Amino acid sequence: MPQLRKDPILKQWVIISPERGKRPSDYKKTIEEPDDSAECPFCEGKEHLTPNETLSFRTAGTDANKKGWWVRIIPDSEPILRPEGEPGREGFGMFDAMNSIGVHEVVIESPNHNSRIHNATNDQVREIIWAYKQRLLEIKKNPSYKHFMVVKNSGAGLSNFTHSHSHIIATPIIPKRVEEEIEGAREYYHYHDRCLFCDIVKQEQKDQMRLVYENDQFIVFCPFASRFPFEMQIMPKSHQPFFEMIENNLVQTFADALQNTLKRQEAVLPGQPYNMVLHTSPCSDSYKDFYHWHVEIIPKLTKVAGFEWGSGFYINPTTPEDAAKALRDIAIK
Amino acid sequence: MPQLRKDPVTKRWVILLHEQKKLPADFKIEHAPKQTNKCPFCPGNENMTPVELMSYRSENTLPNEPGWQVRVIPNRFPALQIEGDLDRMGLGVYDMMNGVGAHEVIIESPNHEDGFHNYSSEQISRVLHTYVERYRDLSRDRRFRYILVFKNNGSAAGASLDHPHSQLIATPIIPKRVMEELEGAKTYYYYKERCVFCDIIRQELSQGERIIHENESFVAFEPFASRFPFETWIAPKDHKDCFGDIDKGEIDGLADIMQATIKKLIKTLDNPPFNFIIHTSPCGEHCTDYFHWHIEIMPRVTKIAGFEWGSGFYLNHMSPERAARFLINPNYKG
Repeated sequence: MPQLRKDPILKQWVIISPERGKRPSDYKKTIEEPDDSAECPFCEGKEHLTPNETLSFRTAGTDANKKGWWVRIIPDSEPILRPEGEPGREGFGMFDAMNSIGVHEVVIESPNHNSRIHNATNDQVREIIWAYKQRLLEIKKNPSYKHFMVVKNSGAGLSNFTHSHSHIIATPIIPKRVEEEIEGAREYYHYHDRCLFCDIVKQEQKDQMRLVYENDQFIVFCPFASRFPFEMQIMPKSHQPFFEMIENNLVQTFADALQNTLKRQEAVLPGQPYNMVLHTSPCSDSYKDFYHWHVEIIPKLTKVAGFEWGSGFYINPTTPEDAAKALRDIAIK
Repeated sequence: MPQLRKDPVTKRWVILLHEQKKLPADFKIEHAPKQTNKCPFCPGNENMTPVELMSYRSENTLPNEPGWQVRVIPNRFPALQIEGDLDRMGLGVYDMMNGVGAHEVIIESPNHEDGFHNYSSEQISRVLHTYVERYRDLSRDRRFRYILVFKNNGSAAGASLDHPHSQLIATPIIPKRVMEELEGAKTYYYYKERCVFCDIIRQELSQGERIIHENESFVAFEPFASRFPFETWIAPKDHKDCFGDIDKGEIDGLADIMQATIKKLIKTLDNPPFNFIIHTSPCGEHCTDYFHWHIEIMPRVTKIAGFEWGSGFYLNHMSPERAARFLINPNYKG
C-alpha cells in the first residue's frame, strides 16, 4: 500500500509509492559531463577571464586575480540579481514588481579543474566553508538584503561549468520556500515552545532508520516525507539559526559531515547530478528561536512531471528508509 | 536590470531576466525518440490495459474492444490505491496515512499520432466531457478532498507513453500548490470582497498585452509573474469556482480555446513537451466567493535548477509580454 506522508515543516504531503520500488541502479545516468577544461574560466591561471574577485584565500605574497589561491569568489558574469541601483518597488494595477537588487556570486571551490567536494582533501572542504562564512558575513552588512543562501548545481545538465563551484545569492525579499519553512516552524514553536528542527533531529536519532551518517555535531538523514529518491538533509544537532555564525569547531565537523555525505552519494549513485542548497535564517533576529540552518541535497534522478509542478504534490518511488539504508551501508574511502 | 515580479495569488516572486531578448528558438527542446514497442493504448490492444472505467464508443461495440473514441482505464502503476481506509496516524513529530486514492488514464484518441492541436472539435469536446464525467463521479467519494486532471505531453514532461493521454488523480488531501492559491485568494477576498482571479482577468483584458486568445466564455493569457517561458493560463471569464459545474456550451468554448492555445504553443516552440493541469475547488467545499477554476499550461523548455526548488523563486528568461507577442503573431521576429 502506498503511503501519504506529511512534511512537518512545509505541511506538504508526499506519496511514497514503493510498489514502484526502485533501486539505485535503476536510475540510469543519461548524459555525460562534457570536457570543458580547455576553455574553463575557473581554472588557476585563467583569472583574467572572470570578473574581479570579491574574496579569495591565497598564499601570502600573491596578488588578487592572479594565481596562488585555493578558494576564490567572483561576481557571476550573468547575474540574476545585481548589487547596484534602487529597489524600485512599483505597482502595476493589481500586480507588484521591483528591480532585481541583490548579490549573485560564484564560489570556485578549487583551483584544480577535476577536484570535487567528495574527492577533495578534508582541509579543502573546510576552507570552502570558511569562504562561505566570511563572504556571507560581509554581504550581511548591507541592510537591503533580507536573506541569502548557498546553492550548488553539480553535474551534467545542471550547470554550465563542470569545474566545482557553488553560488551565493542574496535577495531583497525572503524567498517563498524559506518563508514557508519559517511559517511551519513558527507555528510549531508557538504550540510546543520547542524548535521543530531540534525535535526532528531527536526523532531521527531515536528512529535510526532514516539516518545516513552522524558525527558529534551533525546528523545526516533522508527526510520522512522525502519528495525525491535519495533526498538528504544535513543538520547541526544543537540549535543554530544562522549558518554564518558557525563556530570554529563546527566548521570542521560540518566539513566532515558534508564530505562524508557526498562520498556516500557518489558511491551509491555514481556520477549522478545533484542540487544542494543551504538554508539559513533570514538576516533578522526575529526568527532565531525557531529557525535552524540546514543543508538539503537532492540527486536529480527523476523527471519532475507536470503533476508535481502544478499540484506541489510529489510522488516518490523510493522510501526514505530504503534510501537511507543504501547510503548508510555503503563502504566509502 | 532584471525585474522581480510577484504573483498576486500565491505571493511567489519570480526573477524575470528579460534583457537577453531571447527568441523562441533559443529554448532547447528535448525531442525523445519515437517509441517502437507495441502501444497498449492503440485500438486492438485493449487486452494490454486494465478493464475500462468508461468510454465513448460507436454503437454495437463492446467494452474493452475497438470502436471507442475516448477510453478511461485505471493506471496500471497507480501512485495511489482505490481500496482501503485512510488510517491516519502520527509518529512522533510526523503524520501519515494510507495512500488511498484513484489514478486513472484518459486515452484521448484511438489514433496514436493525434494531439490536442489536431483533434476535431467533436473529439476535443468528448475528451473534456470525459474529464467532467470522471470528475463528477469521483467527487462523490467522501474519502477524496481533491481531484487533479492533468496531462504530461512528451517524455521530458514526464509522459511514459507517446499515445495521447491525460491523467486524473483523486487524493484524500488538498495539494500544496492548490492550498496556497486557496489561501491567497481567500486573503484577497477578505480585503477587497472581490475574486482575485476576476480582478486579474479584468486587468488582463483591459491591458491586452498578455492575452493569447479569447472567446465568449474563456480567456487565455501569459500570467504577469510567469514562472516559465510561455507559461499560459486559461480561465473562464465569468466567476466559476468549480470545473465540475461546467455546462455543455462552456465545454465547446473551452475546446475552442484549448485547441487554439496549444496550436500556438506548438507552432512557436517547435512541438515542445508540455504539461497542463486543472486547478479547481476542493471536493464538497464550494469556494463560491473567492476561488476561480483555471488551467495552467507549462511548456517544458528550461531545466529547473537548485535555486528554484531551494527557494521557491523561479528564473524566467522570457517576459510574458514578449512571449504573448511571439504566440499571437507568427511573423513577430522579436
